Amino acid sequence: MSGLITRRTMLGGSAASLLAAPWVARAQANTLRVGMQSILSGPIALLGTSSRNALMMEQDRINAAGGLLGRPIEFVFRDSKGQPQEAARLTRELVNSTGCELLIDAEASSGAFAVQEVVRDLGVACIHTNSETSSLTADPKIRVPTAFRVARQGVHDAVAGSAYLSEYANAKKLNKWATCSPDYAYGRDTTAQYLQFFKQFKPDVEVITEAWPKLGQPDFTEVITKLIQAKPQALFTLLYAGDLSAFVNQGNIYALFSQIAVATPNVDYPVLAAIKNLPAGIQSATRYLETFPNTPANKEWGQAYLKRWNERPTNWSWQNTVAMQFYEAAIKKANSLDGKALAAALTGMKINTPFGVDGTITMRDDHTTIGYAIGWGQTTPKEPFIVDVKAADWGKIIELETDWKKQQKYI
Amino acid sequence: MKVGPALRDVAIAVFALIVVLAIPLLHRSPAFEDFVIRLSAMALFATSLNLLVGNTGMVSFGHGMFYGFGAYAFALMMQMTDVSLPIAAVLAVLITTFAALCVGAICVRLGTDYFAFITLAVQMLFYSIIISWQSLTGGDQGLRGGIPRREIFGFELASQLHLYQFCAVVTVLGLLTLRHISVSPFGQTLRMIRDNEHRASFLGIVLWRARLFAFTVAGAFAGLGGVLAALFVSGAYPELADWPNSGQAIFAVMLGGISSFLGPVLGATILLALNDVVTRFTEYHGLVLGSVILAFALGFRRGVLDFIRLAWPGRLR
Amino acid sequence: MDIDALGACLTTPACVVTQTTSGLIVGMLLFLVAAGVTLIFGVLKIVNFAHGTFYMLGGYVAYTALGATDSYALAVLSGALSMALFGVVFERALISRVYGSNVLMQLLVCYAVVLIFDDLVKIVWGPEFHAMGMPPAFQVPPLFIAGGVVPPFYAVLIGIAGLIAIVLGLGLSMTRLGKTVRAAAINPQMVSVLGVNTTLLFAIVFAVGGGLAGLAGALAAPVRSLSPGMGFSVLIESFIVTVIGGMGSITGALVSALLIGLVRGFGTIGFPQFTDGLIYVVMIAILLLRPQGLFGRST
Repeated sequence: MSGLITRRTMLGGSAASLLAAPWVARAQANTLRVGMQSILSGPIALLGTSSRNALMMEQDRINAAGGLLGRPIEFVFRDSKGQPQEAARLTRELVNSTGCELLIDAEASSGAFAVQEVVRDLGVACIHTNSETSSLTADPKIRVPTAFRVARQGVHDAVAGSAYLSEYANAKKLNKWATCSPDYAYGRDTTAQYLQFFKQFKPDVEVITEAWPKLGQPDFTEVITKLIQAKPQALFTLLYAGDLSAFVNQGNIYALFSQIAVATPNVDYPVLAAIKNLPAGIQSATRYLETFPNTPANKEWGQAYLKRWNERPTNWSWQNTVAMQFYEAAIKKANSLDGKALAAALTGMKINTPFGVDGTITMRDDHTTIGYAIGWGQTTPKEPFIVDVKAADWGKIIELETDWKKQQKYI
Repeated sequence: MKVGPALRDVAIAVFALIVVLAIPLLHRSPAFEDFVIRLSAMALFATSLNLLVGNTGMVSFGHGMFYGFGAYAFALMMQMTDVSLPIAAVLAVLITTFAALCVGAICVRLGTDYFAFITLAVQMLFYSIIISWQSLTGGDQGLRGGIPRREIFGFELASQLHLYQFCAVVTVLGLLTLRHISVSPFGQTLRMIRDNEHRASFLGIVLWRARLFAFTVAGAFAGLGGVLAALFVSGAYPELADWPNSGQAIFAVMLGGISSFLGPVLGATILLALNDVVTRFTEYHGLVLGSVILAFALGFRRGVLDFIRLAWPGRLR
Repeated sequence: MDIDALGACLTTPACVVTQTTSGLIVGMLLFLVAAGVTLIFGVLKIVNFAHGTFYMLGGYVAYTALGATDSYALAVLSGALSMALFGVVFERALISRVYGSNVLMQLLVCYAVVLIFDDLVKIVWGPEFHAMGMPPAFQVPPLFIAGGVVPPFYAVLIGIAGLIAIVLGLGLSMTRLGKTVRAAAINPQMVSVLGVNTTLLFAIVFAVGGGLAGLAGALAAPVRSLSPGMGFSVLIESFIVTVIGGMGSITGALVSALLIGLVRGFGTIGFPQFTDGLIYVVMIAILLLRPQGLFGRST
């Protein structure tokens, strides 16, 4: 490496030597570096920071247990700022110059697709932990041999949510629905999926109006008044995080929530923490909830996270934790870090984890996880925040997911 | 234009190309090669912007639109048709050129401030079309599934080394062409318009036509930069056509120096290197980058290369 | 696109009233931010790209002040005043050094400030979003006026923004300071030669502009989410307002902010997925037909 510096200093002058220094990998031979990239700055920095928090806990746990293949692990965290071209660069950098042998891709969807293409070229093992877009692994053209997903998948959530909501709608006689989702791929695709399954479960449902606010739009006033005027009986929304919080606060002063029933899959701890006047009785999925599955292991993990970081975990936190649990098990089984060997070990693998609905999660042979906890319940302003949680029926989810895949010509 | 300077430019270009191509033969460093590939796209992008800003005095806030246009045109052609890579690249640049001509025809008649804002508005319109036209562009998720990088003459662009060589050659040729335009009589005309448009007008120069031509040429080379960017990320993403990306090019131009031909290339190098180094050490890279920019802007009050040229006149071009 | 829905709305009084008032609300808050941009440009010919940062900081300061004092009025006041002060510091320490430089050099300085403060906010208040919560006084049911819905909180906001529009308008046309400011906008050298302390004048302009943005951020904090980088979308919108209204014209900013509000209000019904595109089309059309904006002086 020092030879490189000398040569380039001669060739390119002082500027080049300034640049050369960071290109020199400083890995200690024995440490196993795991590259992790995500969004660590800007309005959705929480995605990256809550993923990182969970991974730091995993790093400590794994190292206390003797590391992987007898080597201590060390995470290398990088911020893509949510830009796909930067995400692609970082993946190359992590592998090529930082010497990472495993990758955790904690990017949002657009970044994940960029990472996917680089992983295709590099052939290293990679687990996507935060992209919920189904096609990332479901579409055989996009799937990559050494890349896996340990995260919710949009289509799973859509089946589970629609099944729950159709029962709820039948019980409350809610036939006229409105939708309000952020105007980008996640919002549009997932809304369409929910509606497709919803209509399948409850054919007499009618969507009377749709609103499409922009992602990160500061003011939802015109959207809220539009919804109020359409006089739906219920509203389905995919807004999340800061947008959901602003929407609820602005809806509150229009008394929106006393006029119509509201359902969203996206109420999680940060939203609960930020909204001061959360209306009771919102139907919501459990993104991550300490009390679902209601097991000591789940509670213990949630409390440990709270204790260490002084905030509660997000959905992204558990997903990253499980990704490391999969890596740990697969490396033990394959006794190797090679992308192909790990891919063979991961495919079809089932591990014990607090976040599975029955205490296990399985990596299916199409590189995505099943069996994780999906439940729906209703909100309450006090702990545990979501009550009467009903677990989704995974048999039904997989059956309808298969139909959907055929429809998309993926299988 | 004298023959001497032109020959000197060609000699410098050839020398630079030889050096860049020789480095991987001496030592392979994937990170360095990635850096050069990204820099090549950014250098073309920033230098083409400077043809407007530095040469003609036209401040465009929307130059990223042509960078994004080139990337999308190229990536879509590679995904949807079977044309070979060089043909797709040339066609992508031609389409971008035409787009720049159309946008320019609308914008160039406006005065300085309004020109900046209308280019910004057109870019944002273009960006929101990319986002809305999901069936073609993939919306905010960008074009997925990668760009099929078909082999050309035993050249395999999926290989990093070949992509590196390809980008180096394209960029050096592109910069040489831009240099040629900038020192040509037409380039002199543009500088005259920048310095005093009334005088230029009295001399019989049709202002809007000269400006439109400069705008179109700048758009074409930004599109070429976009093609290289699309090859690097193996796809096209709306962020390439977004406002902050135009901002990146503006900062590269300003950091490097608007009065020096190689200023934007230096600025792009500083910006990229700063980004790569700082993001390794802290997630608060905005704080560091912002402080550095502030130090440059308030300390030098002009781009680095311009500053050096003022401090040591006669040393650099 | 949903032209039928738009037609149906335009023929229903309740829909027209409600969407118009929501357009007013969106527009008035936009005006508060844009007024600062246009004032600063009008007098100093500086395009303040850091204006969104003032808006963001105003919101965060108010958030903290509410926690400390438990009074929304004090919170809003501290958001506005601290940003007025910050405006002066920003002008004296940074912007005054690039007067007369290339417009892009000014852009560079502003951008650096945006980067720095987005990160500082993240360090001080954390990366997660915050919500201030509605003050108890406003936790009351909405009013129904002519079949339209108007929450009292928004009625107060519109009132405050309207008051400020009037004070600004009258202040600029009637007071001595206002006249000096307008004169400085036309010929700063002459004003300086006449013995006016332009240094002080410029600082005042930045104080007013920054204070207005901070006020908008603080006023909106109960209903909007606070997050690092939140100033960006507000900045873009206030540019659009400034350009359409005419760079430097307060009246123009008011009219075009309301126009944008109305486009949003009815665009969400007629073109739910292309409201933004619609606004850019309006902006391009205005720039082409009347480059100086609706109320701008032609140069």
